[in-house]
Amino acid sequence: MTRSLAYAGVSYRYPGSDAGIFDIDLEIAEGELVAVIGASGSGKTTLLKLLAGFARPDRGTIRINGEDVTGQMPEARRLGVVFQSYALFPHMSALDNVAYPLKVRGIARAERRRQAADALARVGLAERSGHQPAMLSGGQQQRVALARALVFRPHGLLLDEPLSALDPGLRVEMRDEILRVQRDAGIATLLVTHDQEEALSIADRVCVMRQGRLIQVATPHQLYDQPADAEVAAFVGQSNLWPGTVAAAGRVATAIGDIPCDTAGHAPGAAVTVLVRPERVLPVGEAGAAPGVFAGRVVSDRFLGPVRRIDLAVGDGVVRLETHSQETVAAVRIPPAAVRLLPRETAPTGGRT
Amino acid sequence: MAVVTILYLLFLVAPMALLLVGSFGQSWSNTLLPTGFTGRWYVEVATDPSFRRAFVTSLQVVGLTCLLNVLIGLPLAYAIQSAARNGVRIAARLLTLLPIAVPDLVLAFGFILAFSSDTLPWLGSFWLLVAGHVVLTLPYTVNTLAADMQQLRLAEFEQAAATLGAPFAARFRDIVLPMVATSLLSAMLTVAALSIGEFQLSNLIAGFLSRTYPVVLLQAFYGATGLACAATVVLLVLAVTASVLSSATARLARSA
Repeated sequence: MTRSLAYAGVSYRYPGSDAGIFDIDLEIAEGELVAVIGASGSGKTTLLKLLAGFARPDRGTIRINGEDVTGQMPEARRLGVVFQSYALFPHMSALDNVAYPLKVRGIARAERRRQAADALARVGLAERSGHQPAMLSGGQQQRVALARALVFRPHGLLLDEPLSALDPGLRVEMRDEILRVQRDAGIATLLVTHDQEEALSIADRVCVMRQGRLIQVATPHQLYDQPADAEVAAFVGQSNLWPGTVAAAGRVATAIGDIPCDTAGHAPGAAVTVLVRPERVLPVGEAGAAPGVFAGRVVSDRFLGPVRRIDLAVGDGVVRLETHSQETVAAVRIPPAAVRLLPRETAPTGGRT
Repeated sequence: MAVVTILYLLFLVAPMALLLVGSFGQSWSNTLLPTGFTGRWYVEVATDPSFRRAFVTSLQVVGLTCLLNVLIGLPLAYAIQSAARNGVRIAARLLTLLPIAVPDLVLAFGFILAFSSDTLPWLGSFWLLVAGHVVLTLPYTVNTLAADMQQLRLAEFEQAAATLGAPFAARFRDIVLPMVATSLLSAMLTVAALSIGEFQLSNLIAGFLSRTYPVVLLQAFYGATGLACAATVVLLVLAVTASVLSSATARLARSA
């Protein structure tokens, strides 16, 4: 038996609209944390709803540990869900909230209170067990919700924008807490978020959704270094994206000039989008006439604390770079290894919802 | 603004104040205020057989109206708020608003026409009276509960309970009932206030032996003024108490 959460050819369209998710194939292995990112309306929450059982797919099957659960009600699926608003029962104490999934499974009162207290202790809330949810801070409510979703040893953990309701400062802390608890439980986890940084920092794999489809499923490193297309590149982190044409083997022509790079897989004359991450662009003092070195004029120079973000006008384009250097920047070098060639987008199909 | 407020209070409060004064007055004819002080009108109301009977009838009608409102209104409101489609929700809302839009008098005439026939000869029966009160008050219950359920985000808590393994019966018992309890109590107190003061429909469809308190009250105004005032004050106190309790619990329900 494979222990995993799996979508096989799953499609779901919201009644009376074009929105939904289409042809989803995805498997989350035991212990793996898969994050789904995408703009609002891209279908990432729908993905979670179908797995949780709040909606039934029009086509395809959903499997939990190999068993087809497509027709099962949410209460039969044994999945821990943390809601965006936490959905802690307001009329129950933190302990009773965590004990509730054990109560409905008929576990004796003393035993379920012991297990619930244990689960609360694991998220560092032992001394708050008697509090009502309204008396807990956002971060504490989040921990209770996490404990409640895991206390009954579910087959999978589903997190719907779990950090969006928290203060930015607390977000990083809770992010690490979620990862720790998830690793501790060794449980297959689906994290839905609009925050790409959150996804990159804790996920084993990241799925990018657009218009109800999975555009790319990759490790955070792959996603950042080899995005499937310009739109994914722009969504994940900062980027320079220039339309270009392969001029010859090892050289691509763009608005800023010819950039030396690896053009393997692209015939000369092919239209491409050139991706260079700003932190890979190196400032140089003197503008030598070497290939890959570009002189320009600074049009914007912003100090962001850890880095400076500079826009340099070069030729008919702009090179954006991030640097620690305090020196004046008059030219930059773009190392061939920093360049990625992406397929040139035909104009993105409209009607995004 | 101040003038409007003063005029409004004058027309609202002054009649009630006069009723209160009148109920303790010895005699009251052709003078602005009654003369003498007595508590005997209250004693008379309390001992009058027709008032006593009407009072008991009213309490029975109120009790049953509330009970039926819970039994019918709670599942109905729940069904409306958990209906997936917006269209269903709007249609149900409109349907429950109908009895509010239709004047009581029209409803009463309808009842008279429908239930004085040979096939449905129920006019004047106690149960038809209760049915009438339920028809009039149910929309209030359903709308209040459905709105409160939505505001409490009940659907989301139910989804959460479902993922935790709770089947429908357990969700209803552990989540829905405790969460709407205060809202339900508040709605029932309002229903009680509405039902206890209901006159138009009751006056037209109540049988001689099942007359409610307000119906008998009207007859009292043909007799001694003091008696009528005292009987009215009794009704006023009951209705106001129910209303005040209702709004107090409603505030509690919203803050919960």
